[in-house]
Amino acid sequence: MITPWLNSHLLTFLVFAPFILGAVLLLFPERQAPLAKLLAILGATGLLAIAAAHLFRMQPGAAGALFVERSYWFTAVGVPVEYHLSLDGLNFWLVILTVFLVPLTMLGTWNSLTSRAGSAFALFLMLESGMLGALVAQDLLLFYLFWEAMLLPMYFLIGVWGGAERKYAATKFMLFTLAGSLLWLVALLYTAGHAGSFSPEVMAQAAARMPVKAQNLLFLTFALAFAVKVPLFPLHTWLPDAHTEAPTAGSVILAGVLLKLGSYGFLRFAIPIFPGSAVHYAGTLAALSTVAIIYGALVAMMQTDIKKLVAYSSVSHMGFVMLGIASFTVVGTQGAMLQMLNHGISTGALFLLVGMIYDRAHTRRIADFGGVALRMPVFTAFFLIVTLSSIGLPLTNGFTGEFLILNGTWLSGFGWGRATACFATLGVLLSAAYMLWMVKRVFWGPENPDPESGTHHLHADLTPREIAVMLPLVVLIFWMGIHPQTFLGHSETQVSRALVQAQAPAARTPVFDAEVK
Amino acid sequence: MYLSAGEFSAILPLLIPALGACLLPLAALDKDQATVKWVRGAMFLMALFSLAGGFLYVARLWASGAQPTYGPLQMDRLGQFACIFTYVAAALAVLQLWDHLHQEGWVKGETLSLLLFSATGMVLFASSSNLILLFLGLELLSIPLYALTATVRTRPQAFEGGMKYFLTGAVAASCFLMGSVLLYGVTGSMELSTIGQFIGAARPDPLVLVGTALVLGGFLFKISAVPFHQWTPDVYEAAPHPITAFMSVATKAAAVLALLRVLGAGVPAPGALRIQSAVAVVAILTLVLGNLAALAQENIKRMLAYSSISHAGYLLLGVVAGTAEAYTGIIFYLAAYLAMNMGAFGLLSCFGLVGDRTTFDDVKGLGWKRPDLAVLATLCMFSLAGIPPLAGFYGKYMIFKELILQGHVGMAVAGVLASLVSVYYYLRLPVALFLDKRSEKAEREDAERPGFRAPLAGAALLVCGFLVVVMGLFPGTLYKGFAKRVVEDAFHIVR
Repeated sequence: MITPWLNSHLLTFLVFAPFILGAVLLLFPERQAPLAKLLAILGATGLLAIAAAHLFRMQPGAAGALFVERSYWFTAVGVPVEYHLSLDGLNFWLVILTVFLVPLTMLGTWNSLTSRAGSAFALFLMLESGMLGALVAQDLLLFYLFWEAMLLPMYFLIGVWGGAERKYAATKFMLFTLAGSLLWLVALLYTAGHAGSFSPEVMAQAAARMPVKAQNLLFLTFALAFAVKVPLFPLHTWLPDAHTEAPTAGSVILAGVLLKLGSYGFLRFAIPIFPGSAVHYAGTLAALSTVAIIYGALVAMMQTDIKKLVAYSSVSHMGFVMLGIASFTVVGTQGAMLQMLNHGISTGALFLLVGMIYDRAHTRRIADFGGVALRMPVFTAFFLIVTLSSIGLPLTNGFTGEFLILNGTWLSGFGWGRATACFATLGVLLSAAYMLWMVKRVFWGPENPDPESGTHHLHADLTPREIAVMLPLVVLIFWMGIHPQTFLGHSETQVSRALVQAQAPAARTPVFDAEVK
Repeated sequence: MYLSAGEFSAILPLLIPALGACLLPLAALDKDQATVKWVRGAMFLMALFSLAGGFLYVARLWASGAQPTYGPLQMDRLGQFACIFTYVAAALAVLQLWDHLHQEGWVKGETLSLLLFSATGMVLFASSSNLILLFLGLELLSIPLYALTATVRTRPQAFEGGMKYFLTGAVAASCFLMGSVLLYGVTGSMELSTIGQFIGAARPDPLVLVGTALVLGGFLFKISAVPFHQWTPDVYEAAPHPITAFMSVATKAAAVLALLRVLGAGVPAPGALRIQSAVAVVAILTLVLGNLAALAQENIKRMLAYSSISHAGYLLLGVVAGTAEAYTGIIFYLAAYLAMNMGAFGLLSCFGLVGDRTTFDDVKGLGWKRPDLAVLATLCMFSLAGIPPLAGFYGKYMIFKELILQGHVGMAVAGVLASLVSVYYYLRLPVALFLDKRSEKAEREDAERPGFRAPLAGAALLVCGFLVVVMGLFPGTLYKGFAKRVVEDAFHIVR
C-alpha cells in the first residue's frame, strides 16, 4: 500500500517526512535527547535509503523530469500558485547530495553538541525539508517559500548552538539573505503579475515581451537574491561569520547544500527566465566570480583559524561555480554542476574534520597545533586526501570540476573568456598554497612544544564512528574524480537546452571535447 | 417602535454583547468575600458567552448570505466581518485577561464590561454609513478604551497612559466631529454616499476638502498612522497586555474597515484618488517611522507598539493600491494580524510578566523553560516579520502584489525594505527567548515570585499560533471563502 503511494508521491514524501519527524522530535524533553538523536538519524538514514531505492533505478541522461507532482494550490491576487515539484537532471544529484549529507553529518557530529542536542537534530531535519523543497520546487512562489523556510532552522542552529559570536553571526546571516530575497520577491511578483503564472516557462514568455531595460532590472534582482546565497563577491561577508560560528553540523550543511541553492537558482530560474539579460551580464558575473576566486583565496591564506580558512576557501570555490555558469558553454556549466557536488563533498568533509579536531582540542587556531600527524595518523590521512581534492589534484573530484570550468571559460565565445580563465587558474594555484601551508603548519613538523597547545589535547585518533563517516566521502572524492560521467550524464541534455535558449556567443572549437563526452 | 425582522437581525449582533456589557456590572455588586471567586468566574463566563452569542449569530447570518440593514447601519459582509473579527479578538483578550489580571492582583467586573462596550462600538464604527453613527461608534469604542488603559489602578503608569490616550483621543474625535460638521454644512447630508459625490466632484468645495481631511485625521488616529501615532507607545505600555492586544488589533481593524467602507462604497474616482495620494504619503511615513523607532526599543510592549504603527503603514499601502484585490488583501492581512499580534501579547501574559517587567531582558532564556509557548510566540513573531510560509507573509504579499500591478513599484520596494528592517526587531524576541542566557538577577526574582500558571492565556496563544500556521498553509481558503466575499458582496462601486 505504501509503495504505490510512494511511487507517485515520492517528492512530497522526501520533502515533508523530515519536517514532520523533526516537529515531533522537538516535543521531546531534554532528558530524552539521546532517543531523539537516535530517531533523527534513523529517520534521515531511512530517507536516504528510500531516495536511493527509488532514484538509482532511473536511467541517467533521461531527458525531462523523472518525477513530477503537480496540482493547483491556491490563487492569490489572481495568480494561481501551483504545488509543482519535479526531479530532473538539474537537481537530481543535488537532492541525493542533500539526503546523503544529512545522516552522515548527524553521525559525524554525534557527540559534538552537549546541550539540547535533540532539538538541534530536530531542527536539522527541518532544515533538510526546506532544502529538499527548494531543490525540487518548480513553481516560483513555492520555491520562494521553501527558500525562506530554510533560513529559520539554520538561524536557530547558528544562534543557539554556535560559538561565542553566534548572535551576531545568526542575525547577519538572516538579514543578508532576507535583504536579497525580499527585493527579489518584488521582481517575482511583478513578473508573475505580467505572466499570470508562477511557472518559469510562462514567466519566461512574459519576460521576453518586456522591454530590455525592464528585463535587465528584473534579472539583476533575481541575481542579487541568488548571489547572496552563493555567495558572490562582494555579498559574501555573512558567510565567514556564519560558517565560523555555526556548529559543525551547520557548517557542513551550509557549505554542502545551502550555498548550492544560489547557483542552482541561476541555472534553474534566473537564466531560463531572462536569457537575454543573463548573457548581457555574463561578463559582470564572470568578473565578480574571478574576484571571488582570487580574493577568497588570498583572504583564506591570511587566516589563523582553520575553520575560517575553510570558510573563505568556500568563497573561492563557489566563485568557480559561478564562473562556469557565466561562461555559457556546455562544458563550463557542466563543470559548475559537478563543482557544486564537489564543493559539497570536499568542503563538507573539511568542516567535519575541523569539527573532529575541535571536539578534541577545543581550539581551531593554526598556531595552537603542529605535529598533529604524529598523534593522529588516521585523521591526518583523511585530512590530506580531502585537502588534495579541495585543491584539485588530478584523479580527485576537485580537479574534474575546476578543469571543466576553466576549459569552458577558455572556450567561451565571450571576448573575456581566455583572460578570465588565466586569472581563475591563479586561484587554483593560490588554493594549493593556502591549503598546503595550513596542512604544513598543523600536521607536519615537530610537535608543538607548548604543553597547553591544542596538539597536547589530542589523545585519541579517529573512532570507528568517525572513520565510518569519512570513508564514504573519500570514496566519492575518488569516484567523482575518476568517473565524473556518472554525475554529469543527468544534466547534459538540460544544460545544453538551456544554453541554446540563452543564445550566448558560440563557443570556440572544443579542443577538449573528448574529456567531456 | 416597530422593527422588521431584517432590521432586528441587523442590530442584534451589536445588541448581544452590549446586553452582556450592561449585565456584567450587576454581578460585580456582590461583595461577599466567600463567593468572590465564583462571581469572578461567572463574570468571565458571562463575557465569553455574550461574545459567543454575538459571534454565533453573525456566523449564521454569514452562512445564510443575508445582508440586513437598519437605516444607516449596514450589517453587510463588511459589517459581519467586523463583528466576527472584533468578537474573536475580544474573546482572546478575555481569555488572556483572566490570567493577566490575577497576576496583577486586580480583577474587577467593570473591565470586562468596558471591553464589551468597546467591542460593540468597533462594530458600530465599521458598519455605519452615516457620519453621526460613525461618530457614535468612534466614541463608543474609544471612551471605554481610555478607561481600560487605566484599569489596573495600582500601577502608576496606568493613570498617565489613560489620561494621555483620553486627551489625544478627544482631540482626534473633535477633529472628526468638526470635519463632519463642515461636510454636513456644505453638502446638507450625513450620508456617506451623498457626501462622497461632493468629494468626488471635479472641483470640490475647499471646505469639503478640509472636512474630508479632518475626518480622515480621525481615522488615521485610530489606525495610529504617522503623524497621529504619538499616543501609541505610551498607551500600549500602560494598558494591561490583553487590552493592548485587543486595542492594537481591533481598533485598527475597525478603523481600516470603516475607511474601506468610505472609500469603497462612498467616494467616486477623482475624490478617492485624491484621498489615496494623501494616504500614500502617510503610509510611507508610517512605515519608515514605525520600523525605525521599533529598532531602538528595549521594552517588548513598546516594540510591539511601534511595530503596530508600521503595520498600519502596510494596511494603508493596500488602501493606496485601491483595487478590489488590494482590499481583499487588507481583509486577509487583518485576519492574519489578529492571530499574530494577539499571540505576541499572549506570550507576555503566559509568562506572567506584569508591570514594567516586559523588557527583552526579562524574557531572556525563558524559551527553554516553556518551549511550547515560546515556539508559538516565535511563530507569531516570524509571521509579523512576514517570513513565509506563515500568515503574515501572504498579507504583505497580496498588498505588495497589487501595488506592483497598479504601477506603484517604488512604494512596494519601500514596503519591502521596511519589512526587512522589521525582521531585525522581531528576531529580538526569539533571540532573547532562546539564544540568551537567563540572567542571575532574573533567576533570583523567578525563585522569589510565586509560581504562575496561565492555562487560559496559554490556550489563547495556542489558538493564535495554530491560526498563524493554518492561514499560512492554506491561504486560499481564507482568501476565497472569506476575504474575497467581504469585498465582492459589500462594495458595488469598487473600481
